[in-house]
Amino acid sequence: MSDPVTFVAKWLEAYLSGLGLASGWIAVIMAALGVIALGSAVLLLDILLVWVERKVVARFQDRLGPNRLGPFGLFQPIADVLKLLLKEDIIPQGADKFVYNLAPILALATVIMLWAVIPISATVAGSEINVGALYIVAVGALGTLSIIMAGWASNNKYALLGAFRMVAQMISYEVPMVIAILIPVILAKSMALTDIVESQTVWYIVLAPIAAIVFLIGAQAELGRAPFDLSEAESEIVAGYHIEYSGMKFGLFYAGELLHALTFGGLFATFFLGGWRGWGAETYPILGIGYFLIKSMFMYWVIMWIKYSFPRVRIDQMLNFCWKFLTPLILTVLSITAILDKLMSGLPYWAYVLGMLLSNLVILYFVYQAVGRYARRERQRVADPEKFRVNFPVKSTASPSHLP
Amino acid sequence: MSEQMILTQTDLAERFPGKVRRDERKGYEGYIVEADALLQVAQTLRDEMGYDYLSSITGVDYLPDGYMESVYHFYRTTGGPALVLKVQTPRDHAVVPSLVSLYPGAEFQEREAWDLLGIRYEGHPDLRRILMWEGFAGHPLRKDWREPYYEEDAKPFKSRWPDGHVYRIEDKNPFHKNVDYPPDFDPDQWVADNDAALYASLAKIQSTLDSSLKTDTVIVNMGPQHPSTHGVFRMVVLLEGETVRALKPVMGYLHRNHEKIGERNTYIMNMPFTDRLDYLSSMSNNFGYALAVEKLMGIKPPERAEYLRVIMAEFTRISNHLFAIGSLLNDLGAYFTPMLYAIEERELILDIFEAVAGSRMMCNYFRFGGVARDLPEGVYEKMRDLAFERLPRRIDELDLYLTNNEIIRARCEGVGVLTPEQAIAFSASGPLLRASGVPYDIRRADPYSIYDRFEFDVAVRYHGDVYDRYLVRLDEIRQSIRILQQALRDLPQGPILAGKPQYQVRVPPGEAYGRVEAPKGELGFYVVSNGKPNPWRYHVRAPSFVNITALETMAKGNKVADVVAILGSIDIVLGELDR
Repeated sequence: MSDPVTFVAKWLEAYLSGLGLASGWIAVIMAALGVIALGSAVLLLDILLVWVERKVVARFQDRLGPNRLGPFGLFQPIADVLKLLLKEDIIPQGADKFVYNLAPILALATVIMLWAVIPISATVAGSEINVGALYIVAVGALGTLSIIMAGWASNNKYALLGAFRMVAQMISYEVPMVIAILIPVILAKSMALTDIVESQTVWYIVLAPIAAIVFLIGAQAELGRAPFDLSEAESEIVAGYHIEYSGMKFGLFYAGELLHALTFGGLFATFFLGGWRGWGAETYPILGIGYFLIKSMFMYWVIMWIKYSFPRVRIDQMLNFCWKFLTPLILTVLSITAILDKLMSGLPYWAYVLGMLLSNLVILYFVYQAVGRYARRERQRVADPEKFRVNFPVKSTASPSHLP
Repeated sequence: MSEQMILTQTDLAERFPGKVRRDERKGYEGYIVEADALLQVAQTLRDEMGYDYLSSITGVDYLPDGYMESVYHFYRTTGGPALVLKVQTPRDHAVVPSLVSLYPGAEFQEREAWDLLGIRYEGHPDLRRILMWEGFAGHPLRKDWREPYYEEDAKPFKSRWPDGHVYRIEDKNPFHKNVDYPPDFDPDQWVADNDAALYASLAKIQSTLDSSLKTDTVIVNMGPQHPSTHGVFRMVVLLEGETVRALKPVMGYLHRNHEKIGERNTYIMNMPFTDRLDYLSSMSNNFGYALAVEKLMGIKPPERAEYLRVIMAEFTRISNHLFAIGSLLNDLGAYFTPMLYAIEERELILDIFEAVAGSRMMCNYFRFGGVARDLPEGVYEKMRDLAFERLPRRIDELDLYLTNNEIIRARCEGVGVLTPEQAIAFSASGPLLRASGVPYDIRRADPYSIYDRFEFDVAVRYHGDVYDRYLVRLDEIRQSIRILQQALRDLPQGPILAGKPQYQVRVPPGEAYGRVEAPKGELGFYVVSNGKPNPWRYHVRAPSFVNITALETMAKGNKVADVVAILGSIDIVLGELDR
């Protein structure tokens, strides 16, 4: 009973062949059932995420969060969904109906598609294609398309501004994020996610901390979560691309966003935290599912933590940060990692790990110094106190000595 | 009043013989200037006498005497009392030269006077209605203007108590005959064309843009329904990409003609009504109004009441600034987290208000010559605990987490800069003025109540950007805590109201301008009495309204995101802006 998923699959396969079906048909049916099972599991998780998100935010903000419906307010998401289902479905005048309706479906579907290649435990993975990392990048970019479609089809200036911003942001942040993914690929010497996980006897966050940080930042931007939530910046462009959506269509965007965040938590866990790996996970694959979920949820929590702590950056600052800082940094790290990997290939593994870690720390130190100097210079440029200073003597009756 | 001040004041009448004369009416002060000499006199005031700050412009309709008056209050940013100028003009052809060319801060106030009183300011660059809608017939603050369902000139309306029963006139006759439309008005055919002029002015700017790179501009209406306009405020923005090329504020969506209602009410009836102006700091509003009426009545509150007033006003300032900082961070995109931590302290302050005044926000606590109630048991200890223990600690905490946050600094520093010269010219007040390096705080510059007894510093910063406005607010909270600590230490025992409580105060004829340093800036109440139970004129110089004049200058050339931050840093409240 250490591996129930494989057990059930084996049993089903045996049952189907017992019915006398051709092996081709069995494969098709098994694949379809796998898709249904994985998709349903992910969507069920999504419902839970609504509760998690609201509860965790509440705790960050010194509130209680949902606590009326069911134990700990656990049934709150069901009430949320019911409310969304009952709401009027509005299509604005002048909207492109087809594209307008397609966008929310695409938003959620692309996220679910990402789960196809993530290895959930030692034996459970949707599809073991050997270019999993490439697949992630390609399908991940499709999600952006849904936002552009929503922004354009809504016939709303705020939505359009949101879509503009999203395009700029995506084009930019995709670059450092993809390069950051390349580093685990180099370390594992494979693009298949299952291989990447299996080769992580030492988590890659130890070997490539900078890549992990850059991937996290890129993920934050790709998700459109603060401090990079410019595409839906509530205080500026109201809700950005989904401003015109109501009812369940908005619900799909919302669900897609939450699931996207968890998915990136899962990807981070896969690339840098050893995926399903953990104590006893290889002999008892069911433990792997637990480890994987714990790691993904932890990263989801980190993403939330960042989102609810920081104000938003401005669009020019966001682009500058990406092109002038993140991209050069990660390119440097990539080339150094590649060279070191070649040079240290003969060394024992502990020395290899140490070398990678040290190289990262050295880069981090220099980057920290450079950024600090840049920030100080910028600050001086912005703030020259003497330039604006005017001295107005104030007639004071109580304490005249306090004035500068 | 210093010697030099008296000298300049006697000077003015001699300097412009035949053009300027002293206002000799009983209870009035200042000078009456001939309309054609106004610009010249104002120029002299600004350039030679140092009256560089035009605090308030308003009008008064003296219907029985057959003329209208435009009233100006000038101050020196170095401190000291007001210099009041008045221009009299016939009612049927009310024209006064505009002061916008000398004092740009006059722009919105003159538009308001034109809108509500029908005084035309000759030479004003953009004399449109500002609070009422474009199609509105008449000028509501004229004393002969009568609204639909008009009953009587002043409250309490005798008609509402037939045989001791109260009814509302609206219930009795929903389509009363004095609902007045223009003769050829057809509601089905009418098209709202208020915005035609507005969009036309933006189109003009659009055509003048430098087009070396061919880009499209787009006009975006931010508001009236927008999460970051702090209410139903609207900004029409001309965008080139994300950059703001022009911005026109549109207001009046929350207009209820506060001043007309105020002139109907008796004096004491206005006290709870002032709460509704800046609903986040009702105690300060009470303070300003009480000062103005007390000046007219010539009374002073007893010691304990003065202390209680100061304590309440400073608590109000703290709660308002906490809210302002919280919403500024919200505008910057920190999703409610700093806001909710800031509001936590505000709740404790509101608890105190509830204990002393009976209401958390609409306090209605001040009375002419004192305050309404003394402190209930246990509140003093609570206030002490807040002022000495909790608030200083929590403010330091806010400071620790927010002030040096890299993103906050990147977003706020150097954004929305207002130079000191601009700030004074735009009649900015409060943190907006002080963040621009002008240490002008009415509590120091023109002390009222007992502020001259306390030791505190005028918070001032020198860059004039959003970041400095935030810092000034933080500094002011600290100074308020200092004042609170002194006031709570010295709070004397004694009566809280001068004389016996009275529902109908007797106010001798005259005029008075009571102003306080409200959390958002200079809050002034200009009250004219003719000896009747209701004020003849009741004008509010709202800090939000005047501060918003500088918005366009600050916003131009910045990004959309910055406009929101700049608006948040001005700290407006629509209840006060639209009145």
